[in-house]
Amino acid sequence: MSYELIAIFMFASMMALLLTGQRVFGVIGAVAVLAALPLWGTGGVEIAFAQSIKLMKWYPLLTLPMFIFMGYMLSESRIADDLYRMFHVWFGPVPGGLAIGTIFLMVVISAMNGLSVAGMAIGATIALPELLRRNYDKVMITGVIQGGSSLGILIPPSVVLVLYGMIARQPVSQLWLAGVFPGLLMAALFIVYIAIRCQLQPHLGPPLPKEERDAITWSERISLLRAGILPFMIFFLMNGLFLLGYTSLVESSAVGALASMGAALIKGRLSRQVMENVMRKTLGISCMFMWIILAALCFGAVFDGLGAVRAIEGFFLGRLGLEPWHVLILMQLSFLLMGTFLDDTAMLVIVAPLYVPLVKLLGFDLVWYGVLYTITCQIAYMTPPFGYNLFLMRAMAPPEITIRHIYLSVIPFVAVMLLTLMIVMMFPELALWLPQQFQGKLQG
Amino acid sequence: APPAIAQEPIRWRMQTYAGATLGQFVTQPFVDAFNKAANGEMVIELFFADQIVPTGELFRAMQAGTIDAVHSDDDSMASPVEVGLFGGYFPFATRSILDVPVLFQQYGLSDIWRDAYAGTGVVWLSAAGQDPCNFNTKKEIKSVADLDGLKLYTFPTAGRFLTQFGVVPVSIPYEDAEVAVQTGELDGMSWSGITEDYTVGWANVTDYFLTNNISGAWIGSWFANEEKWNALPEHLKALYISCMEASHTFRNQWYWGGEAKLRATGDKLQLRSVPAKEWKQVEDAAVKFWDEVAAESETKAKVIAIFKDYNKVINAAGFPYGES
Amino acid sequence: MLAFLVAYVRAVDRVNYRVGRFAMYLIFALMGVLFWSSISKYAGSPALWTLELAQFIMVAYYLLGGAYSMQLGDHVRMDLVYANWSPRRKAAIDAVTVLFLIFYLCVLLYGGISSTTYAIEYGERAHSVWRPYMWPVKLVAAFGIFLMLLQAVAELLRDILFLRGVSVNHQSEAGL
Ligand code: NA
Ligand code: NA
Repeated sequence: MSYELIAIFMFASMMALLLTGQRVFGVIGAVAVLAALPLWGTGGVEIAFAQSIKLMKWYPLLTLPMFIFMGYMLSESRIADDLYRMFHVWFGPVPGGLAIGTIFLMVVISAMNGLSVAGMAIGATIALPELLRRNYDKVMITGVIQGGSSLGILIPPSVVLVLYGMIARQPVSQLWLAGVFPGLLMAALFIVYIAIRCQLQPHLGPPLPKEERDAITWSERISLLRAGILPFMIFFLMNGLFLLGYTSLVESSAVGALASMGAALIKGRLSRQVMENVMRKTLGISCMFMWIILAALCFGAVFDGLGAVRAIEGFFLGRLGLEPWHVLILMQLSFLLMGTFLDDTAMLVIVAPLYVPLVKLLGFDLVWYGVLYTITCQIAYMTPPFGYNLFLMRAMAPPEITIRHIYLSVIPFVAVMLLTLMIVMMFPELALWLPQQFQGKLQG
Repeated sequence: APPAIAQEPIRWRMQTYAGATLGQFVTQPFVDAFNKAANGEMVIELFFADQIVPTGELFRAMQAGTIDAVHSDDDSMASPVEVGLFGGYFPFATRSILDVPVLFQQYGLSDIWRDAYAGTGVVWLSAAGQDPCNFNTKKEIKSVADLDGLKLYTFPTAGRFLTQFGVVPVSIPYEDAEVAVQTGELDGMSWSGITEDYTVGWANVTDYFLTNNISGAWIGSWFANEEKWNALPEHLKALYISCMEASHTFRNQWYWGGEAKLRATGDKLQLRSVPAKEWKQVEDAAVKFWDEVAAESETKAKVIAIFKDYNKVINAAGFPYGES
Repeated sequence: MLAFLVAYVRAVDRVNYRVGRFAMYLIFALMGVLFWSSISKYAGSPALWTLELAQFIMVAYYLLGGAYSMQLGDHVRMDLVYANWSPRRKAAIDAVTVLFLIFYLCVLLYGGISSTTYAIEYGERAHSVWRPYMWPVKLVAAFGIFLMLLQAVAELLRDILFLRGVSVNHQSEAGL
């Protein structure tokens, strides 16, 4: 069988089986072993299990359960409640202010956690009911929470950038720093969008009524700022100690997990029920991720070993005869397309190893590409039919928010993300300036 | 003329210990040369560190036939044979890159290695020298005492040896070492010569290069799945061996020239040296280490005896073979 | 016959529930080991075994917890079409497509047993200064995969039973 045919066969059968609704990891793993058994030759049967050792040695994956634990701890223990109240009070008077405050909340949550799960959970349980009560537009606020929570993987710490760093062999600290400004830019653009939209259509985001505003004294407002202390401490323990070199990456994730537990304890919210929920959900989501990664590593090794990778390389580099920039844009487009169908973790483990070497061959900076890559993943998180944030939203949103609302809500936010993607593509310094300031050492 | 029968080429998968950057120099030239000369009769596809299976599983993968051929040291691919610990860097076993082929071809190590692998399902084909094992670090090393407390990325056998000088050996995946230096988890490496430091990017994250080494050359070997090897027609075996030996020649000059040039003209690492007299205590410790290992088994004792014989010869020969 | 199948499903549910609940607590072991790793560096003697031990715990965590997380329904599906199907239709199609999952797990288990046998036979050790034996973690991995296989078969039987009019709920739903 030719390389091209193997590549097409493996991808097509994976897509077809995914549509049946069977568990994603089972589909990916099955396609991999079904291709390996007849086509690999002797020893093909061993590939699947060998990947479990590869996964084990892929040590930054240790951060995954830690970040997930932390995310659930922050949301289940409702540590973010005070924080939410702070933004709510400070931004309430502006049209669309509560939505803008929610974006700020999401930025702070993102700075404490490496996944979008925490932002989703906090947004859906704390912000959403309040926004609905204040007659904010359902479609808009559903989008606010989905778009805002996806910042979790762009603003450091970020699990996606850790995984990308392992695949692209780029320093995680540089990647994290590279995500800061694009992440803040994206958040700013979200806010600009909300502000303009609510200026034009004030009924979408009514400001707090005057009497309610007057009821809050200035001293109360100032004291609410204290809500930022705990998140800042968690942020510092996680990112600060890591970037300063006191803790290693995996250690800092454990410190973060312990810090979130400590914060819950200080707040007196570390109940039995909270612990039970956090532990059970952490296990469930970690297992989900890990099994997909296990299967996807197998898919990748088989795809690679059968020569299908060469077919893809040949397609992009030789056959099309394009300029590097065109190839890059084409790759991003195909990535976006795949992102709508493929699970994000699978996409990361299957597609990134195919594309990263190409990007390097084309002469682009791999730290910069990591940011482009993460933004693409953020978009994939939110685009139907397959988007992890869509699932979470569906599971967590109150019943009056329908699937239709959820699907409609992402459109403007995906547009803002695409805009950010284009800006970062056109101005690489936006991502690269900060990491350059921190570069370990540059001599001669 | 009789009609040519279109035949499917024999396809082999080879995995190297080296990552993609280093692999371009240490393994890829062999694959390119062989594929060209085999003229479509046989095709080898090369995969880099951990690409199909993790490096530590390579022996097992070759035994099962998942991978057909491997370029690695015995130590890294976790060979379950007695000579496994001599692969890679065995403290002070060699002084320079050409010592390795001499030891294997003139002093009998080839036979010992071939026998050690016989019956495991994996066939040992050839060994060759590579770079020495120096130190590249963020902190300055000017005396043996400066090693105390350094967290270094190094090989297990070398690590076991270096702990007596206060070194804290850290074992992490190869590709993570650079990041680990930046995050302060490592103070540097005791893993390679200066050529590799520059090639894979370690020179960008460390400041000093210690010219003293704990071994003069890396012992790296070439292996294949035994059944697959035996099934090759004789002319392809001969071609395989020629290309492999030719690749040794390439690495000999690449490392020998690279080490000298980068020490002399490289601008990323500052050179430091511990006076030879003082470094002698490290060498003496190695002799003790050798005796400990020799006591473990007959085969190990045989290898150590060969190292001792050879070292006696080169020391007697004087400069440039041994101590000046 | 049906009674036997019901008994199998219940038994597997129960075993995997217990094992999964055990695995759930390993997160604290993981946290502890990593925390110790960051502390020990400043206590003078950095621990040489923490990273590897943490990796072993992680393997146990997700492989022993896999079957329980399947009971909890945490393994995502691409549910564009699936979500709109009736429970009967879901069960009928799952009963067929789960065979793919079962096949994958069988291949995984075969590799696990083969690798564990190798590790025991050759006394395989990890490539580090600590040099722990590899067979314990491989054994745990193979056992976790075996439990996952049992659970996948239980899911298949549950669907078949459901189509025959016998409903066996996941015990976590049943409040066990
Ligand atoms: Na984040
Ligand atoms: Na998507």
